[in-house]
Amino acid sequence: RDSRVCALSLRLFLIAYGQYQDSRMEVKYTDIDYHVFTDAASFITQGESPYNRSTYRYTPLLAWLLTPNVYFTAVFGKILFVVCDVLSGMIIYRILCLQGLQSETACRFSSLWLLNPLPMGVSSRGNAESILSALVLSTLLCMETRRLTLAALFYGLSVHMKIYPVTYALPIALSLHRSAPTAEGGERRWKSLIRFIRGFFNKDLLLFASVAGGVFCSLSALFYHMYGWEFLYETYLYHLTRRDIRHNFSPYFYMLYLTADSRWSCLLGLAAFLPQLSLLCVASLAFHRHLAFTCFLHTAIFVSFNKVCTSQYFLWYLCLLPLILPHLHLSVREGLMLLLLWFSAQALWLGPAYLLEFKGLNTFLWVWMAGLLFLIINCFILITLVVHYKPAHNTQRLKVE
Amino acid sequence: MYLVLFALLVFSTCHCLDNNEENQDPCGLLRQWIETSSMSVDLNKEGYHRELTTTVELSPDAFSNVRVLLVYRWPRGVYVDPFQLASMSAQRDWQILLDSAIDLELPAHQTSGFVTFVYPGLSKLTSGPLKVTIPVHGRYHMPSSDGEAFTFITIEAPELLLRTETCTRLSSLEPHAVVNAPCTVNNLTTCGWVQIQQNQMIGPISFQIPVGDGSLVVPVCGGTLLITLICCVALTKYMWKHRIVDA
Repeated sequence: RDSRVCALSLRLFLIAYGQYQDSRMEVKYTDIDYHVFTDAASFITQGESPYNRSTYRYTPLLAWLLTPNVYFTAVFGKILFVVCDVLSGMIIYRILCLQGLQSETACRFSSLWLLNPLPMGVSSRGNAESILSALVLSTLLCMETRRLTLAALFYGLSVHMKIYPVTYALPIALSLHRSAPTAEGGERRWKSLIRFIRGFFNKDLLLFASVAGGVFCSLSALFYHMYGWEFLYETYLYHLTRRDIRHNFSPYFYMLYLTADSRWSCLLGLAAFLPQLSLLCVASLAFHRHLAFTCFLHTAIFVSFNKVCTSQYFLWYLCLLPLILPHLHLSVREGLMLLLLWFSAQALWLGPAYLLEFKGLNTFLWVWMAGLLFLIINCFILITLVVHYKPAHNTQRLKVE
Repeated sequence: MYLVLFALLVFSTCHCLDNNEENQDPCGLLRQWIETSSMSVDLNKEGYHRELTTTVELSPDAFSNVRVLLVYRWPRGVYVDPFQLASMSAQRDWQILLDSAIDLELPAHQTSGFVTFVYPGLSKLTSGPLKVTIPVHGRYHMPSSDGEAFTFITIEAPELLLRTETCTRLSSLEPHAVVNAPCTVNNLTTCGWVQIQQNQMIGPISFQIPVGDGSLVVPVCGGTLLITLICCVALTKYMWKHRIVDA
């Protein structure tokens, strides 16, 4: 409880400080995205489309939620994000308790989120990521307590707000999969495949799919009716077809920049997508019994192998990290080494990127190599986590010869 | 006697007024200000984010009477960020009008040049040079095919335009050309402005930004795909090796 109060007060203090800095100094504390949200909300209060605000590429729901920014106070949005942030921490605590941890241990791990400066800074600056992390964590909590309708509701809502949770569909489907008992005396391969596929058509999974699909489709239909094609394009299509060739953490950045106008660019785009897809399938098949771990792996793989990768994406899997940490058989020293490795890889990228952007030196090759190194280190860290993940459940680890 | 004195008084006043009017011929004054004005342009900072500073010197009595307009014709390789300009509006005393919407993310060869009209604020100053500092950003350019590491972007010096409310016979100010441009930043009406022909033409400013090396496309693609494939295979191997099955 103390950490919750502490977390909330620290965040509120940061909001107040942000207001002070914005009014006094040239470098603003508030993120540019927050101004985009507020402008879009003010368009809504005038009865217009939020997409009149250029670079507003989110769901109209967000602008609607932030209309009190215009009516009451400009910091309403930040307070909402900060509350969602603290709520995420509380949900982490609940999930850890349900997984069998002692209350005190669960508290310590949820403090890793509540008292972490990174999510504190991000929400108080006005980024809406905390709403999504609260929705994803609520989905996981409801799945853990088997309240499937509620889980499907949160899931549909989270996919509506940002596309990336759609990758969780596979592990969720696999975790709700019910396979009939194996026939005796072995069976043919095609028969077991049919049995596997038939296992997907059970009451739980169909209920989940229909509620989640219903929520997503009805929200999309509502906003399409209100704002037309622009809503579909800005909220979904832009992110799917985005080809930003400017330097970013992705290992594919330089390849895509050099081939941007050639006839190979489509093929290379596909070549970049296939490893992502195959890894997501393997991760789901390997770990679907542990939904939190699978979702963490999914997001980490998705972000690391994506064609565009910015530091904002790291938050997507950071909120799931406290859920898997208690089950990792890593010493504190080993964990800190991994963390240090991850930060060093980022620093090795940021160095040449700074020289490129702010000093005008041609460090493209160094940025490219640093991007590849970042991928290698991310994979190394993920492999270490996979090898050391030993949850105390009734499931057996497959014995290796 | 008094009548004579009175007539003398009226006559001298009229004469004085005539003299003053002659001296204060608005277009004559404008010509004077034009001929005593000067401008210099400077580019600061490095890399993709630069600042173009334009300094305009006018004679001191011009400030309260004249309107100044700087017309920048930007090449396709740079852009100005309208949101950045809006957020710094409190710290600057000049206003800017863009002639088209600006896409911040497009590479240079997919855009075209654009024009901005900058109206420096004159109300606060009574003397001293006008300074306008505009932050500009370089766009990504197409990779070079011959191994060149940099490409040049050339920015023309802005056109300095002057106007007063009182002088309407702008054609009398030859050889300085008359152009039509928006009267104010609100772009509601168009006025005639006098374009100053500088005796020493200010040359364009060039700077270079890095470009990718197109001749390396095969090793880069090959290297990237190889490493991502190796990472993919390694991750798949370990995930499958340590997969969790039900008891």
